[in-house]
Amino acid sequence: MANTNTKFLVVDDFSTMRRIVRNLLKELGYTNVDEAEDGVAALSKLKGGGFEFVVSDWNMPNMDGLTLLQNIRADAELSKLPVLMVTAEAKKENIIAAAQAGANGYVVKPFTAATLDEKLSKIFEKLEKAGA
Amino acid sequence: MTSEATPQQASNAESPLGLSSSDEILNRVGHVTRTLHDSLSGLGLDKILEQVAQDIPDARDRLAYVARMTEQAAERVLNATDVAIPLQEELAAGATALQQRWQDVMREPSLKSEYNLAANDTLAYLTMAGKNTAETKALLMDIMMAQDFQDLTGQVIKKITGLAQELEQQLVQLLIDFSPAIPKKDAEAAKADAGDNASLMNGPQIDPGAVDVVASQEQVDDLLDSLGF
Repeated sequence: MANTNTKFLVVDDFSTMRRIVRNLLKELGYTNVDEAEDGVAALSKLKGGGFEFVVSDWNMPNMDGLTLLQNIRADAELSKLPVLMVTAEAKKENIIAAAQAGANGYVVKPFTAATLDEKLSKIFEKLEKAGA
Repeated sequence: MTSEATPQQASNAESPLGLSSSDEILNRVGHVTRTLHDSLSGLGLDKILEQVAQDIPDARDRLAYVARMTEQAAERVLNATDVAIPLQEELAAGATALQQRWQDVMREPSLKSEYNLAANDTLAYLTMAGKNTAETKALLMDIMMAQDFQDLTGQVIKKITGLAQELEQQLVQLLIDFSPAIPKKDAEAAKADAGDNASLMNGPQIDPGAVDVVASQEQVDDLLDSLGF
């Protein structure tokens, strides 16, 4: 089980969705959550340091989620950061593009609390295995 | 390339008039265009275009209204569930604590039967309170999750608003180009800046049956599995 103190960054341009994800994370025991409204704001927060997990939307103004992911993977400090895409984009090419860019998981909206829980657990499991 | 290679060679079937079929197509398209031009002029094409160009901002305002109202509604629900969930948690915690205390008290035998009866009823009530608060909290979480419609419908509305804007700009451009009376505006704005990743931003899929679209989380997982993730 992952540390419940894991610091999350939830990135979505819709405040409704940010609140929903934040509440779901809280329900799963993760209370250390910050929010960003687009890729640009997210990247600047991430560069400030301290974050251990990113949950990001795709379609956002200023900088979209895929570009954010590419920026994270290209940054020496951030490249190892786990990124879970939570997006309404549901084309096969989207999923392939996200996977190729190095996403750790892909959840398509609308999703359930159980799906988010399952994907988070799976990512933490893989990370633990890789770290062990 | 041979010296004889002309467009006619690709479709050199002769029509009864002795024209090649591509010539005939051109003739027909020309004819259709002339007819269209004549009828549109008769109807007052510029007036129609002007009307459409004026109607689009109105449609856009209406969509913006829908987006605003659904966002407000979703916010209200989320505010309410944010307040209600801790209240339920407080009730649940209180019930559990009291239950524990009564169980401890009941371990000491008492001769007063009425006292025992009241204690048993209290315990039964506390059990129910614990169960009901848990169920209510699950329902509140469900109500909260249901607000994701605001994000999804909002994205669709944004997309349509964008399309309408593009259409409007093109119509305005058409009017600028062909009716000099209309003041020049938005000519530069007509150029939409499409980024590299633009084709990957389609918003929610409103038709899960469409080609190249995944219809469920399972299909996402299967696709990722097949890619080795």
